[in-house]
Amino acid sequence: MNNELAIGRFLLSELKPKGKILTPFNVITFPIMILGLALIAIRFYKGIGSVTNLSQEIPWGLWIGFDVVTGVAFAGGAYVITFMVYILNMKKYHSIVRVTVLNGFLAYVFYAGALLLDLGRPWNVINPIIGNSFGFNSVLFLVAWHFLLYMIAQLIEFSPAIAEWLGARRIRKILSGMTLAAVIFGITLSTLHQSGLGALYLMAKDKIHPLWYSQFIPVMFLVSSIFAGLSMVIFEGSISHRVFFSKISEKNHLAQRGILLGLSKICAGTMFAYFFLQLLVFLHGKHWALLNTPMGYWYLLEMVGFVLVPMFLFYRSYRRGQIGMIRVAAILTMLGVILNRLNVTVIGFRWDMAVRYVPSWMEVVVTLTVLFAEIWIFRWVINRMPVLSDPPAWATDQK
Amino acid sequence: MDGFTYINMFETKGIEYLVIIAFLILLIPFWVILNKRAQMAKQMKKTLGTLSASILRIPQGLYYSRNHTWTHLDTSGNARVGLDDLLVHLTGEMNFRSLKNPGDRVGKGELLAEFEQQGKQLRIYSPLSGNVTEINRLLAEDPAVLNEDPYGKGWMFRIRPTDWKAETATLYFAGETADWFAKELNRFKDFLAGSMNYRSRGSSIVVLQDGGELTDHTLASLPGELWQDFQKEFLDPDRPVG
Amino acid sequence: MGIDRRGFLKVLCATGATLAIGRDAKAATKSTNDVEFRGVLYDATRCKGCRGCEYDCAEANGLPEPPPAREITGLRKTDETRNTVVNEYSTSKGTVFLKTQCMHCNEPACAAACLTRAMHKTRMGPVTWDGDKCMGCRYCMVSCPFDIPKFEYHSANPKIHKCTMCYERLKTGEIPACVYNCPNEALQYGTRRELLSEARKRISEKPDLYVDHIYGEHEAGGTGWLYLSPVPFNELGLSTTLQKDSYPSLTKGFLYSVPSVFVLVPALLLGIQQATKSNPSNAEKEDE
Repeated sequence: MNNELAIGRFLLSELKPKGKILTPFNVITFPIMILGLALIAIRFYKGIGSVTNLSQEIPWGLWIGFDVVTGVAFAGGAYVITFMVYILNMKKYHSIVRVTVLNGFLAYVFYAGALLLDLGRPWNVINPIIGNSFGFNSVLFLVAWHFLLYMIAQLIEFSPAIAEWLGARRIRKILSGMTLAAVIFGITLSTLHQSGLGALYLMAKDKIHPLWYSQFIPVMFLVSSIFAGLSMVIFEGSISHRVFFSKISEKNHLAQRGILLGLSKICAGTMFAYFFLQLLVFLHGKHWALLNTPMGYWYLLEMVGFVLVPMFLFYRSYRRGQIGMIRVAAILTMLGVILNRLNVTVIGFRWDMAVRYVPSWMEVVVTLTVLFAEIWIFRWVINRMPVLSDPPAWATDQK
Repeated sequence: MDGFTYINMFETKGIEYLVIIAFLILLIPFWVILNKRAQMAKQMKKTLGTLSASILRIPQGLYYSRNHTWTHLDTSGNARVGLDDLLVHLTGEMNFRSLKNPGDRVGKGELLAEFEQQGKQLRIYSPLSGNVTEINRLLAEDPAVLNEDPYGKGWMFRIRPTDWKAETATLYFAGETADWFAKELNRFKDFLAGSMNYRSRGSSIVVLQDGGELTDHTLASLPGELWQDFQKEFLDPDRPVG
Repeated sequence: MGIDRRGFLKVLCATGATLAIGRDAKAATKSTNDVEFRGVLYDATRCKGCRGCEYDCAEANGLPEPPPAREITGLRKTDETRNTVVNEYSTSKGTVFLKTQCMHCNEPACAAACLTRAMHKTRMGPVTWDGDKCMGCRYCMVSCPFDIPKFEYHSANPKIHKCTMCYERLKTGEIPACVYNCPNEALQYGTRRELLSEARKRISEKPDLYVDHIYGEHEAGGTGWLYLSPVPFNELGLSTTLQKDSYPSLTKGFLYSVPSVFVLVPALLLGIQQATKSNPSNAEKEDE
């Protein structure tokens, strides 16, 4: 009985905020989140149409195109980093595994959770889960199930940190033993659902602009999720490095530079392959004439400005060891991935309509709410659990 | 598809997913059992008396010197010194004779002790400088403890080091020692082959060339001349880097 | 070494078994029942644009009554208040009317898209929607090449609306409401096989009246609703660039590869992990 009380009191005390309350970040994000919650309430009371600009021809908009499809791409850092550390045994990146897995886990919880906001009849979401009605023939069925299983796998991968926070030694040992299995399971799932998000749009052949539609969308999404995830790791790592400076252990500080250089090398290589994949698909489609149209210029902008340019930046900054340039390249890459995903799902989707879809400000606010909520939880975890800081001594002894 | 009657393109998807789940669930015990085989193979090698790098013990937290001694700084500020597992596995049981007394000063690379086995001798040199504070009496009483527990009860000397940080900077740390032990074993096999040819002595030991197995306590059944060569090759300070 | 070899062989066997099952699935899709698809044939040469079918459909489905003809301007689409519309088109051969509704495809994209099987292709042919299962994800709307499913965006309990070919009436042996009352016999109900032969008969008997093409015979893999027209179909707002294969076949490649990935990737990862296990951490000093 005492044990439960102690844990309960401990958890309650952990809920109290650490550090200043009125930081600029808090002041900006909190009102937006409150507004977003109000909008979500309206959405459930008056229907999706009351807060979004969706229509019968454009059933999926910002919430699916950005929150789910793009957000999940950025969470791809988790499966790439765990692949590099646990499968390829690249110990250099070991210090960023935990924070990347945490990020990935929270991203899936919030962005796939944001998907619930987009469902018209969310109370029926348990149907494809509990076996009431399995739609095996559906790519969305596969994607949804993989999201669930992947969240569980990531939770298992991250759980040793939670056990260390709670001081549960035996549980931590058991969970550590499950790490490799969770990592392998997670990488397999990621391969399928990152490409699955692309496969969702395969049936919309006549609706997506030919420059972005091909049978290879799944492969494209998978490859771009690799450098999207790594760019997010670079970007988020740079911010965390500054914001949580005091939390990071000495060892991790020193490792930062080497890690950034290594990641930029990998990004450059992957983007090189991705560019040539896109080129192959373009040649196969024979859409030369389309390049000379407004959408064609947009396509070239995406490919050249947001794939080739950051690729060269990554390559150059790796060769010259310029850390600052790596961060610029990462931001450009992320913008490019956002652009690509939005082009397939929203901008290129029914591009031929007279009145194009533009997200309403309410959709944007709700999206921001989801994003900020994720960052708040992320901050809460970093401030309490051994993610950026070193694990307690008893944990390293356990290995 | 004839277009006139119902056909389900994804008819078998349900069964396929069940098979996948079964595969993944079975994969875990399958993998664990296979790896247990590898562990058992290691154990078997040990009981058969074959000497390979995988059975050698290398505790964490100790420093290892190229002369096959180890040292560890304990909380009292004294460093314990002993012989590493590779050496005692090669030699077998030996008798210990200290050449220093408590209170003596010893320098790094200076002669510390002598080990003897049926007239064959090995000289052990110190991995660090300092004052000898204690000699392990148990070693003299029960030589077998050297092979059973070379890092624990089989320690040789307690030395109060005078320059711990600088001198241990050049020693191996546990993580790198496994690789180094494996390399030393290979070097020992080459050494045996070379020395046998040089001494041109027929021998009845089971020592195969090129990746064959060594028996445990290899040196025990070899003559004194080989011990002298071994001393020069592996235990003397300032020997050429292998 | 024996570990990897054994594991590899086991993986090969499992993969082979999975692929064999998969291959059988393609061949064994011959249906075992003898119920044939039902459909409706719409003959644009016979339709006079009375829009009686709109009123009958609204009444049969409890939808609001359609507006009178004088209040209609321009082309209309179906939406959450009407499952079918009849539009007037000025074509090269004068005024032609076209009735729009769900096409009840042989292999519907909406049914393949639906992850809860709310959109369901019945054995008789009509594609129906089940409100107890639907999550409102609207993936069916994304996938349908004809843009037919319509969503109630302004309801807290939104439903999907589309023509169901009056499936409840068909089950009791009746015919769809729109067909029942059509004064000029522009609509005809029957099995798809019968309708196709009837359509070909009409074309062969009056080749000058009809365009020699039955819309829906092969479009999107074949549909239950078939069209005959005196003018090219794109003049009537029907897309002539739809593919001949069914739309779900576009996702077939991806979905079929899932079992193989699930078997091969974990085995491959375990193998790589074993191979790199004894490697000292690489490239540690390289980038400093």
